[in-house]
Amino acid sequence: MSDTPSEAPVKSILPEWVRGPQDFIGGLAMVAVALFALWASSDLQGMHGFSFGAGTAPRMFAVLLLLLGAAVALMGVLKDGPNIAAYSWRGPLFVSAAIVFFAVGIRPFGLVVSAFAAFLIAALGSHETKWIEAIIVGACLTLGCALLFPYVLGLPMPMFPRFLIQ
Amino acid sequence: MELFANLAHGFAVAFSPINLLMCLIGALVGTLVGVLPGIGTIATVAMLLPITFGLPPVGALIMLAGIYYGAQYGGSTTSILVNIPGEATSVVTALDGHQMAKQGRAGPALAIAAIGSFFAGCVATVLIAVLGAPLTKLALAFGPAEYFSLMVLGLIFAVVLAKGSVLKAVAMIVFGLLLSMVGSDIETGASRMAFNIPELADGLGFATVAMGVFGFAEIIRNLDHGAEMDRNLVQQKITGLMPTRKDLVDSTPAILRGTVLGSILGILPGGGAVIASFAAYTLEKKLAKDPSRFGRGAIEGVASPESANNAAAQTSFIPLLTLGIPPNAVMALMVGAMTIHGIVPGPQVMQKQPDLVWGMIASMWIGNLMLIIINLPLVGIWVRLLRVPYRLMFPSIVVFCAIGIYSVNNAPVDVVLAGAFGLVGYWLIKHDFEPAPLLLGMVLGPLMEENLRRALLISRGDWSVFLSRPLSAVLLAIAAGLLVLAVLPALRAKRDEVFVESEG
Repeated sequence: MSDTPSEAPVKSILPEWVRGPQDFIGGLAMVAVALFALWASSDLQGMHGFSFGAGTAPRMFAVLLLLLGAAVALMGVLKDGPNIAAYSWRGPLFVSAAIVFFAVGIRPFGLVVSAFAAFLIAALGSHETKWIEAIIVGACLTLGCALLFPYVLGLPMPMFPRFLIQ
Repeated sequence: MELFANLAHGFAVAFSPINLLMCLIGALVGTLVGVLPGIGTIATVAMLLPITFGLPPVGALIMLAGIYYGAQYGGSTTSILVNIPGEATSVVTALDGHQMAKQGRAGPALAIAAIGSFFAGCVATVLIAVLGAPLTKLALAFGPAEYFSLMVLGLIFAVVLAKGSVLKAVAMIVFGLLLSMVGSDIETGASRMAFNIPELADGLGFATVAMGVFGFAEIIRNLDHGAEMDRNLVQQKITGLMPTRKDLVDSTPAILRGTVLGSILGILPGGGAVIASFAAYTLEKKLAKDPSRFGRGAIEGVASPESANNAAAQTSFIPLLTLGIPPNAVMALMVGAMTIHGIVPGPQVMQKQPDLVWGMIASMWIGNLMLIIINLPLVGIWVRLLRVPYRLMFPSIVVFCAIGIYSVNNAPVDVVLAGAFGLVGYWLIKHDFEPAPLLLGMVLGPLMEENLRRALLISRGDWSVFLSRPLSAVLLAIAAGLLVLAVLPALRAKRDEVFVESEG
């Protein structure tokens, strides 16, 4: 993971005084999250008298995260640390795509279609996938889940595409 | 004796046919998923959480507990046979266990791991029963200030005992606390940071975040290495499960030491089972007459950590059942499951729902017994399971998790959120942030806020209440002391030394 060639260009983006890019970027991202939370909770009521308003605790935690994130980023400046690890795009992309497809498809297309399709999309995430094998396993998994969730576990969900049933 | 009456009651509940079945299914399914390399205990429990939702609360929790120790158990099988620790708690088991397997002694290694775990499980079950009632009484004396301080202490413990940077772990806890704020405010009902998304009105689902950060993120991370993970699966047939007399003599003291160490470390909030197995291995190596045997197939190196992690896994239920405070991420998932079933964990649970608490405690013992009886003959099946290539396993897990999350609320948005948290988790791993403290913070967030609010309301806005109440002050002092110790260089070196073992 750490000795991949794509690391060198990543480093050059950051100025030289950043000695631990992994911590530096990580800390900055936490600061960003904290700022976002501060903004998102800015419309909430604060302290009134002794009692907390709805916004007190969120803002308190956000400020805490802001300070901690800044400290982590500072560590990235003061101490030599690991570089940013290389990201791969294939796995994250296709796994996310499969998840999103399932979420969008489950209502209109039902479990059978969306689960099977999600399986195949996720399988694209690895270049080692063998398609015949994947189709067989995907079909078996779909069948298994179609029996397990609604019948064995009693969790009802749409099975088949809506336009076929009506 | 009240204790025996309680235990008897528990066994009566646990021995009902339906609960026995739940226990068996939980233990088996837990082992099955735990055996698969690349899926840790937390991911296993998170993944299987939805399948317990349709059950009655007692059955559901018995099954979840079964999944938990089943996964522990399965993890050690993988460590020994493939040298890929199925989970963090069996990292050290792989050191000597896999060496034993290479020497053709996989059978005895598996058997000793099982026997050690079972013995530790028995001791831990009794310990939970003994400590449960008095700790509950203590907990009832706690006011909101004490509760808040106790939770701070718990979170600090989790940080100190965790691997890696203290600062980053604290940041993760606060990130978790912040995430728990999403949704309606308990007191005013105001919608917080929900952006008018109806699915967020009740807050971020616990199962959703856990499945994303642990399930999906782990899959994406594993894909980085290419689907074909390096597997030196022990190919030869496993013959002779029974350990020799010498094995038993060698491992008995190790099992005893591991059990004691694990039981103590499990009660402490924090790393629990993980730190217990590392500490037990280090202890055995220090005590051994010939430390050089370790790493080359010393049976003590399997017996002690396996006993320790199982003891710790079970005693970590103590803070959960008595104080309502989850000491680690898996217990945090248990809290999530309890909440979904409408049970608020805490000292009241033991009194109001004795069936649930004692039934679960008794079922742990039964579950351990089942595991030892069923699993040794099933080793052959687990080995075959290990041959399933990851390229087929990962899409299956993705689909199974997606259906599982959808089934919780029948909400497609939850599935998308879990996917998003999968990417967040992947990013966190890449930046060396531990996701476990995040989960802990997320579970404790609402409880901390509630108690903080109440304490300040009672004290009329005076923040010194946390220091003027003796019990609360002591808890906070311990927390502060721990934090200082953790950043001191001397102790840091020691702490890192314990973890270095895994890379050796």
